[in-house]
Amino acid sequence: MLCYRTGSQRRLVLNNGVESMSDRVKLAVCLSISYFACAGVVYAQSQVIGAPPEASNMKLVGASDLQARSAYQPTVHHQGDRWIAYIGHHGGTDEIPMPANPLTERAEPNGTSIVDVTDPAKPKYLTHIPGQEGKYEGGGAQMVRVCDGKGLPKGDPNAVYMLRTFGGEGHEIWNVATPEKPVLVSRITGGLKDTHKNWWECDTGIAFLVSGAADWRTRRMTQVYDLSDPANPRKIRDFGLPGQEPGSTGAVPTELHGPISTGPDGNRVYFGYGTNKGGFIQIVDREKLLKGPAEPTAENLRLPEVSRLAMSSFNGAHTTFPMLKMPIAEFAKDKDGKSRDIMMVVDEAILNECAEPRQMVWFADVTVENRPMMISSYTVPEASGNFCQRGGRFGSHSSNESMAPVYYKKMVFIAFFNAGVRALDIRDPYHPVEVGYFIPSITKATDKRCVTVDGKERCKVAIQTNNVETDERGYVYIVDRANTGLHILELTGPARAVAGLP
Amino acid sequence: MRNRMVISVALLALGALSGVAAYERAVPRADWREIAWPFPRDGWPAGRAFRCNSAACGGEVDVYVRPKIGFCNCDSGVADDDEVDRVADLDLMSERFVPREPGHVIRVADMQGRIRGYDLNMSDGSRRTAVGIAVSRRCDLMVAVAQGRGAAGEVRRAALEYLASPDMTRWMNAAMDGR
Repeated sequence: MLCYRTGSQRRLVLNNGVESMSDRVKLAVCLSISYFACAGVVYAQSQVIGAPPEASNMKLVGASDLQARSAYQPTVHHQGDRWIAYIGHHGGTDEIPMPANPLTERAEPNGTSIVDVTDPAKPKYLTHIPGQEGKYEGGGAQMVRVCDGKGLPKGDPNAVYMLRTFGGEGHEIWNVATPEKPVLVSRITGGLKDTHKNWWECDTGIAFLVSGAADWRTRRMTQVYDLSDPANPRKIRDFGLPGQEPGSTGAVPTELHGPISTGPDGNRVYFGYGTNKGGFIQIVDREKLLKGPAEPTAENLRLPEVSRLAMSSFNGAHTTFPMLKMPIAEFAKDKDGKSRDIMMVVDEAILNECAEPRQMVWFADVTVENRPMMISSYTVPEASGNFCQRGGRFGSHSSNESMAPVYYKKMVFIAFFNAGVRALDIRDPYHPVEVGYFIPSITKATDKRCVTVDGKERCKVAIQTNNVETDERGYVYIVDRANTGLHILELTGPARAVAGLP
Repeated sequence: MRNRMVISVALLALGALSGVAAYERAVPRADWREIAWPFPRDGWPAGRAFRCNSAACGGEVDVYVRPKIGFCNCDSGVADDDEVDRVADLDLMSERFVPREPGHVIRVADMQGRIRGYDLNMSDGSRRTAVGIAVSRRCDLMVAVAQGRGAAGEVRRAALEYLASPDMTRWMNAAMDGR
């Protein structure tokens, strides 16, 4: 503070021509101190191996390195008296295309990790199911959903079924009733261009598979399947936006990222398009989608649509998480509109080191379905951690998708790449408030992230929290895209009170 | 003798100059100039726009070119014609465009991708011809679209010649390098 001089003050000194040598020395010393102090701040914001995690109202319970595989989607399932985490992986890296599996002592292309998290303090890695060969988005088995056979209309009641993507080329269903020994049940292939974040209704078996049918003009669209009998998948129809269907011409609407269905009771499917650009939310009548004419004409694709909410070209919809009939305390005395249908929309940051518009979290009021409206937003303050300079991506990516009562309509958890996971109090979705966060420590396994500066590659190492999920017990599971593994967390302090946890 | 030689050399030089002048007149130079980016802001920063009005371009031709960083499949690059339809900025001019024929592989600024010809139906009812170009380097795209009132082949030739010029090649490479 003593060193601070405004530009005008400095100009005054120089213009008077009375700046003595000792003044110059003082100035130089002060500037040097400022330089090193600033450098220290930046350094402090960079992650280093051995440094503790950064946290507020969240603490680490347990961890697994997931064999240093880049992780995408975790799903936690209660089966029997065990809690099992299924974690989808991206393909390998340039340096390590196929990491070694210590359990088999073989190099295996990244696929699905299965981890027993019954004791979250001591997660036990059970097995790895290899995925499609290929690096980064070009391989692996990124997505996972799990349903009990006893809940599916035609499932084997003794089975537990895991639906996963197989790289970009297909989908697979495995019986994981004995999670140490998964058994392949069926496979859905057919020259797909790409796959992504599926949704599977465990009570009906209807699955909305994000695929890229070969003749469609978009990389990702929906294939609706009846997986009520997982051994015999039955295709119901292809679905997408008019302009994406085979044979159409003109502009091609933004590609799908993923849907979430409310099932037959809610009769709505919320589709998120755009990922990080030109996004929109499409609200679809589920019954019309399932029972309407299947031929992919523009007219038939329009038929089940209830409405769309267009987002800015700057943002896209990665996750569309519905929270219907939320009581809003502020509106409690209003004669109408006391409860609202809320949808949380999470954008996905794509580019490293803030080279794109901020990707963040939005809340939309979709009570009046044909006039959905954004009502609030949330982002991590960049300056709170100098996140644009830490390396890797900074911005949102995904939220928990569990609708278990422990957190549903009270709290959500957002994976925010180098800003870790963020716990939000959303009881008033018009004014979401951050109540906790956790940024894991990096390890030797944490992979670098690079940008091109003046034609040269410059790389940094930072945590890249990619996805988050919760279980009915209230544990929070976060996984890292940069190979740091799985971290199991719990809330502490005032954040527990928000969820009503003891 | 010496005068005759001087006169002969002078006549030869004059002839050569006349020939060059005649050639210049017979093959007019394409006269490109930069114009303002004419489209509203969208998901990517504005690019650069150029117009050629001379007969060498077959009439008025506009070229719009910009990088789309982080918008390409890092492994497969620009894989098919559908991808050109999606990314090549044709929709900035008109959402109603119809491909004229299957596209094919092309190299621009030492980057590989695809080019495809289109008919554009403009909002005022007029028709234009266009070419969409998408080339990639790792996970990044460089896209260009050219449109004009002339024959499709002329629009395509003019656009590709201009994009292959040293200045444009230099700029495209620099833009992909983040400079």
